[in-house]
Amino acid sequence: MALLFKQIKFKFFELIPLLLLFFISLNGNSVIDLNFFSINVHYILIYYWVLRLPQALGYGFIFLSGIITDVVFGLPIGASALSLLVVAGVATYVRVVTVRISLLTDWISFIPALLVANLIYFLTLYFSDYSIDYLYLFKNSISTFIFYPLLWSIFSILLNLMKQ
Amino acid sequence: METSREDVGIAIRSALLRRGTQQRFSLFVLILISILFLFAETIETKPLNHIRSIVKDTIYRGSLIISSPAKGVNLIFNFTKEHFNLYDSYNQLRKENEKLKNKITQSDFLELENNQLRKLIDEQVNSTGNLVSSRVMLDKQSPYLNSFVLNSGSNKEIKNGMAVLDGKNFIGRIVDVNFFSSRVLLVSDLNSKIPVVIEPSGHQAILSGRGNNTPSLEYLPENHNIQDGNKIYTSGKEGIFSPGIPIGIAEANGNKINVSLFSDLNQIIFVNIKLGGLSENK
Repeated sequence: MALLFKQIKFKFFELIPLLLLFFISLNGNSVIDLNFFSINVHYILIYYWVLRLPQALGYGFIFLSGIITDVVFGLPIGASALSLLVVAGVATYVRVVTVRISLLTDWISFIPALLVANLIYFLTLYFSDYSIDYLYLFKNSISTFIFYPLLWSIFSILLNLMKQ
Repeated sequence: METSREDVGIAIRSALLRRGTQQRFSLFVLILISILFLFAETIETKPLNHIRSIVKDTIYRGSLIISSPAKGVNLIFNFTKEHFNLYDSYNQLRKENEKLKNKITQSDFLELENNQLRKLIDEQVNSTGNLVSSRVMLDKQSPYLNSFVLNSGSNKEIKNGMAVLDGKNFIGRIVDVNFFSSRVLLVSDLNSKIPVVIEPSGHQAILSGRGNNTPSLEYLPENHNIQDGNKIYTSGKEGIFSPGIPIGIAEANGNKINVSLFSDLNQIIFVNIKLGGLSENK
């Protein structure tokens, strides 16, 4: 009985990243826009979970979540999906080549993920004739990078709960 | 050195091509599908448009359900805030009421005169008959795109390019139509360019969105004499919208002329879509 309860609890916790992924896509919260800064929660969520517990977030779900984000925000379908998959790709690469994982290594390796994903995002919107605020995109990248440790800590608590 | 390069190659191949732990799809395939989707966006065929409409309608409904608790919380917050501001707004409204009472006689006369002049130059007089009311279903303000989704689409004969009004004020145009929903690109968006006329000077310009609530006027003549408080209307020059739809008031900001909109884009619940604008002008 206790084992069954533990298994159900584990399954529930394992679903949280996935539920969160679809919640922020459908609710249009992938970019939290505050007065002075904005954070791309989507990138951090995908990067962290693909790096730490890849079975929690399937690539197919990430792709689907990107498509939903595009539809909700009215962007060309495939733009967000592509950038999210790039973040997942960099995270997978880092997972393959890294032996010891710490906040610092995660944080530093998040820089290329962020740069490449935003570059692809910018290019897709540029070639689709969408005008975007470049300064906003730059500020968003900086604040997403700065706030990574905060979300990293929250997700780590969740990961510990799952492991327990 | 070669071994190191080989390692990187193996790691990239492993990250992109292998399905990995409990993954059903490989990243590479999904990236290719995303690129294909992006190309498919540029193709306009009936079957593809139908599929897009169904997908978008479904996602909009899903988004509506998911965001309803957050909307509820927001409503309660706004209600409480309004409750606390009741006394101030009462005083403000009383003053405004007095001012309006004084102006009402003058306004009636001007309206009459305006209607007569419009008839005289054979312009279209706005009638409520060619308007369709619709509710704002989703107002997810993307940092890159200022738009919202309406709960009417081709089922209410809405078409791309139609003018969207808040009351009688212009707020944007339809850019995407599905069966039961449509997307409005607001005047504040970076992609929005609307031909306008400024009264009383009569200068023509383009109202260009800046991503915030104060779009600016572009392509003005060099020696213009636009002042604070001048009114901005659609010019109807490109034959897309009817002329004379009010948009906002000019606000000089150094060399730039910004426009303070008549409608608060964050507070819109219902809108009117001008059905006649396109076909009549065409």
